[in-house]
Amino acid sequence: MSITEILFWFLSVLTLVSAIMVLISKNPVHSVLWLIATFFAISGHYILLNAQFLAIVNLIVYAGAIMVLFLFVIMLMNLDVAIEPKRSMWMKFAGVISGGLLLAVLLSVVRTSVDLTNKTAQLNTGDIGLIKNLGHTLFTQYAVPFEVSSILFLSAMVGAVVIGKKN
Amino acid sequence: MNAIILSVIIGVVMMFCSVFVPNKNSYRHIASIGLVLLLAGNIAEMHGFSLFHINTKGMLSYDNFGLFFNTIAIASTLIYVLLSGRDIQKIGTYVAEYFVLIFFVLCGIAILSSYNNLLMLFLGIEILSIPLYILTGSDKRNMMSNEAALKYLLMGSFSTGLMLMGIALIYGATGSFNIEVIHAASPQQGANGMSELSVSFLEIMGMLLLMVSIGFKVSAAPFHFWTPDVYDGAPAVITSFMATIVKVAGFIAFIKLFDARMLGTSVETNKLIGVDWKLLFAIIIICTLLVGNVTAVFQQSVKRMLAYSSIAQAGFMLFALFSMNDVAKEGILVYSVAYSLATIGIFAILVKMKDFTFEGYNGLGKTQPVLAFTNTIFLLSLAGIPLTAGFFAKFFMLESAIKTGTYLWLVIAAVVFAAISVYYYFRVIQAMYFKAGDAAVVEAPTMSFKIGLLLLAAIIIYFGIFPQALLSWFYF
Repeated sequence: MSITEILFWFLSVLTLVSAIMVLISKNPVHSVLWLIATFFAISGHYILLNAQFLAIVNLIVYAGAIMVLFLFVIMLMNLDVAIEPKRSMWMKFAGVISGGLLLAVLLSVVRTSVDLTNKTAQLNTGDIGLIKNLGHTLFTQYAVPFEVSSILFLSAMVGAVVIGKKN
Repeated sequence: MNAIILSVIIGVVMMFCSVFVPNKNSYRHIASIGLVLLLAGNIAEMHGFSLFHINTKGMLSYDNFGLFFNTIAIASTLIYVLLSGRDIQKIGTYVAEYFVLIFFVLCGIAILSSYNNLLMLFLGIEILSIPLYILTGSDKRNMMSNEAALKYLLMGSFSTGLMLMGIALIYGATGSFNIEVIHAASPQQGANGMSELSVSFLEIMGMLLLMVSIGFKVSAAPFHFWTPDVYDGAPAVITSFMATIVKVAGFIAFIKLFDARMLGTSVETNKLIGVDWKLLFAIIIICTLLVGNVTAVFQQSVKRMLAYSSIAQAGFMLFALFSMNDVAKEGILVYSVAYSLATIGIFAILVKMKDFTFEGYNGLGKTQPVLAFTNTIFLLSLAGIPLTAGFFAKFFMLESAIKTGTYLWLVIAAVVFAAISVYYYFRVIQAMYFKAGDAAVVEAPTMSFKIGLLLLAAIIIYFGIFPQALLSWFYF
């Protein structure tokens, strides 16, 4: 087992464990902290795939900005166990059934796909994730979506002002 | 390209208007002028005159179908602003911004009618949705509006997540974001004897997830749970826009996607894989028609009834996806015109009412004869009564399904559900003409509003008698 493989398995286990912990921890603040751990582990995967830019952006945007926002909101909302709404047994049952079915389908999809070997990203190879190549692709091949996304941000900004400003 | 860029430019101009033009009454006139310009730009592009020449690297492609749909969407928005502009003004303080957001939604629609790449689909859906979340919550003093906006945002984000997952799976299977995938001519010999497959399970799964997420946007059952609450909670003028132009745009995105992937979702490929898309769509159609029509019968509020009726109408529009032939494409264009115009008219009248329940309409025929008369025509069109545009819309949809030659029971069921829908549409007409009461309006409708309604009713009857007039523009 090479060092990258060991790292890969370690990060995978870390991702899965912390993702499950997000769901099962009772305290919402703990959930958010576990979510941050998940993002760090996923960033580790990105680095293994030689996508440094993505790894850093993932950390800055998700683990940094969005999670801090999450924490603030949770602390401001002052969630208590007492005010947590009671979910009915049937809802839980339906959730487990539908989630389990989706998991089963996704697993079988991955298991039965015949042509994945050459198409999945290989560890430690490929240089599309480097900033230089990424920038080149972004500003040539994907220039139109890149520019169009500015409309998206503009509309979100207008919306934030409309919603946030006092009358 | 004209529509995409012009709508953003006009939107930005409107933003500056809110700073430099102090008179709030002038915003809707500026918006109307902007929409006329946008319409002119789009029609010019239909005749081969494009203002912008941008190499999109295959991200966008302009065909007659998409451009014609753009024209329909922009023209419907123009009618909507002309009829309900005064009511948009009353929602809140930031009048110009509401129009800005409507222009951004139009930009999203223009992208959705011309995308050729899953990235653009994602961007289009988001540019369409995010302004709508805001518009839903634009009545900030109203708790219902706030709740609707938050609900819409959360559920909408969840469906966007599903869409991204689907796009990722499709990318994993084909290595490309293009919606038109050329499958390998010689299938590789797989390890487990599935050599004859040219479509992989990953791709099918991705398409399923995309179907779920766009199905959410067009409120097809069983992904419709947000619709009644959001349509009911949002300010009525905004509901009018959401339920008509935006919803139909979702269908155009849907049809473009499944049209481009016809091969991957065809019956022959399905035989090998075991996913029957036709059956899947048939189930969704039946669910949507059932939920929409049956629940609408029991509503007490006209606004909520219209929310359920919009689910029911979505069931009919899904027939275009089910049959996916030339008749279906023509049909969805006719349907989008008939449905949008009639619903815009009904909501324009609804906004003027003091009481949104059925009782609130009691005796409208006596107090406001013009409103009651035009409302009757719009409702008849939605119900699909002959001599209105709605009849031919439903006719084309069912004809396209019959042409596929399978699932005749689906067509019969749809006719039965259409008959049920007559009941709740006629309840409004009954309240207006045959029940005593004095239906109160918020303010006396102006002369121009009445003339606008009459013109809209005339258009609906015109297309009901000559549906080919609409399609002849399509084929000009």
